[in-house]
Amino acid sequence: MSGLQGLMDGRVVLVTGAGAGVGRGVSAAFGAAGAIVGIGVRRPEAAEETAADVAAAGGTPVILRCDVTDAAQSAAAIAQLVADYGRLDAVVHNAVSGRSSEATDFENTTLDEWEDHSSVTVRATWRLAVQAYPHLQKSKGAYLLMSSPAGIEGSERAPFYSAVKAAQRGFVRALAREWGPDHIRVNSVAPLAISPALENMKVLEPERVKRIEGLVPLGRLGDPETDIGPPSVFLCSDEARYVTGQTLVVSGGRFTSL
Amino acid sequence: MATASRTLVITTGSGIGTSIATRLRDRGDAVVETESSLDLTDVAAVSESLRSLVGSGTVDRVVLAAIDPSAFRAAPITSLTEDQWDQAAEYSMRAAFVTLQQAYEVLADGGRVVLILPTVATTGVADLVPLCTAVEAIRVMAKAVARRWGARSITVNTIEVELAAFMLGDDVDGGAGAAAVPVVPVLGQPALPPGSAVDDVLGLLDMLATPAAAAITGALLVADRGTVMQP
Repeated sequence: MSGLQGLMDGRVVLVTGAGAGVGRGVSAAFGAAGAIVGIGVRRPEAAEETAADVAAAGGTPVILRCDVTDAAQSAAAIAQLVADYGRLDAVVHNAVSGRSSEATDFENTTLDEWEDHSSVTVRATWRLAVQAYPHLQKSKGAYLLMSSPAGIEGSERAPFYSAVKAAQRGFVRALAREWGPDHIRVNSVAPLAISPALENMKVLEPERVKRIEGLVPLGRLGDPETDIGPPSVFLCSDEARYVTGQTLVVSGGRFTSL
Repeated sequence: MATASRTLVITTGSGIGTSIATRLRDRGDAVVETESSLDLTDVAAVSESLRSLVGSGTVDRVVLAAIDPSAFRAAPITSLTEDQWDQAAEYSMRAAFVTLQQAYEVLADGGRVVLILPTVATTGVADLVPLCTAVEAIRVMAKAVARRWGARSITVNTIEVELAAFMLGDDVDGGAGAAAVPVVPVLGQPALPPGSAVDDVLGLLDMLATPAAAAITGALLVADRGTVMQP
């Protein structure tokens, strides 16, 4: 990823949900761009591989306990980065509910399941914004939300996941206008990428994965680090200084009408 | 032209939902409407209310126009407490889930569900982040539900109107509530001359109730007289 080199040199970024999947890949991409990467995870022991990726890519990893449903933890994670490195340039909110890959039986489920999704993807989106605001205002930084194509087209299997991911897109458009005068940019990425669940499916149901890949014009699912990472870094970098309020769909052409 | 024989209107007790219910009733449609005091996030209360309103039968159409009024108060997100954020943004999302879920139980096969929302989330509005967040969530929840309920030939569509029309309904020209409507930046002036948003929505509701509209589902119909023209 030599194209990223220097894009975020010395910049400080917090990535939530960074222990695996897209969060791990995006963290590595920020490392390749020269960033100090706050690896936000619920269990610090689950962040070792991400930290190794970030360091190998040339960045500085900082493992942070950051369950985004816990206001004190996310505040402490931001405070630690600012205390240790003097600034915060970007927040990438990637964490999702542990139930996000499960099907939701909309007609029969309860509000508890809604809260599982909403607390991580809606409430924490707001709370992280409020907690990061003074620091992003100072650095003229960026807030990037990891949304989803499901949040645009609506998924039959995942109505709650779709709704909370759509919520993030409404949030992005409005907050981009609200924070524009502060020169803080607010964007989102809607990725189609290999997840840990899809990695398992590759082994257990290779034909199903082939069918999914067949729907992608570029013929494959995105790699979190090399396909989703660079556009995410770009949106947080100075190269995207005039981009705000947008959702960038990074799906190999799978979703073209959103 | 009223083709739906019985309509359930779910509202917070004001705005365009209430105006739609009144106008449908005035022209002779069979309408049942939720009480303004009903907590739309209380599953048991909503279930009991809908069962009580509908009785042992079903409804052919559900109109959902329910955004918590606190979402219309313009304020920067950094000024909100967690409770204020919850009420302004998340209450309406929970209400959409609970009311759609419970309405499914009283809706006839082949029925029509129409959500009415303000256009704000299409462009985004500063100081209305909770409202924009809720509206976009509900709009896409409706799409997901449209996909799920198609097997019962139920259609689910969304109509969006300007914020003032959504908040005030037929009272939009009355002046009393107009001062409370936040300023919404738009891309231009309406392309069409001024008119009644309630009439506009009634026309679309009638259209969506016809057999000719049986194949329209998961759609967004923007009835703002050509102001936003997106997406």
